[in-house]
Amino acid sequence: MSATLTRRVATGLALVACALVLALPLRGAAKDERQPVVHTVVIDASSFAPKFLRAKVGDRIVWVNKDLLVHTATAKRGAFDSKEIPAGKSWSFTATAAGQIDYKCTLHPTMKGSLLVQ
Amino acid sequence: MKLSTTALALALLAAPAAVRAAGVNDAQIASIVVTANQVDVDAGKLAAATTANAEVKKFAELMVSDHTAVNNSAVELVTKLGVTPEDNPTSQSLKKEGGLNVDHLHTLHGAAFDKAYVDREVAYHQQVLDAVDKVLIPGATNAELKALLVKVRPAFVAHLEHAKALQSSLAK
Repeated sequence: MSATLTRRVATGLALVACALVLALPLRGAAKDERQPVVHTVVIDASSFAPKFLRAKVGDRIVWVNKDLLVHTATAKRGAFDSKEIPAGKSWSFTATAAGQIDYKCTLHPTMKGSLLVQ
Repeated sequence: MKLSTTALALALLAAPAAVRAAGVNDAQIASIVVTANQVDVDAGKLAAATTANAEVKKFAELMVSDHTAVNNSAVELVTKLGVTPEDNPTSQSLKKEGGLNVDHLHTLHGAAFDKAYVDREVAYHQQVLDAVDKVLIPGATNAELKALLVKVRPAFVAHLEHAKALQSSLAK
């Protein structure tokens, strides 16, 4: 009885500890304790898909370059800059602040995208 | 009935493009694609080595890397498909005009060089886009060859806009 109880308490504490560790990077950001989501933006045929993406603070956005050319994902006001992403490679950014971030490819400025972080 | 009449009308409208494109086969398209890219790589290499203008240099280097990448993919695809690029009047004239352009550029220096290179890039990308839209994409019968052309087309549009922006900044 007491051994089972101890085990249960130990398991409970371990779970709490795990949850704390997982939540640590989000401390103060995600008040709803939701898990961060990974979003993917595919770069192909010299365009971003989706062009508009909604994400939450703490989420990670991965740009996957499936094109045969080098591209960048560069925020207009400096929030992020992937620099050159070679064909077949990817780059990611974790959103740390809310706001709308318009970005483009500096090599092919016809390529535009927008990220709304909430 | 109404629907089939519409379909027939559409087919008739589309016919002239098909007729124009009927003159080139995939082996010829492969040759046009490879030549068109190589011509721009050659001009870009010369410009990157010659210009003193940082923006022109950046553009020229991008032309070299993008058009080299397109050519590598094109060569890889035709090799996989077992298609041997076939010389044709379009690829021959592209090659000849490209050679004349490089010869002309060799005679120029400074601002005159930059202007001639960039003016030519504007005209060339416009010409290549027209060919992609009117001859190459409609004419390609192999799905992968057609898909490659569709995939790279937007980059050529970006190059054209980039060249036009450079052209107007040089004019100031």
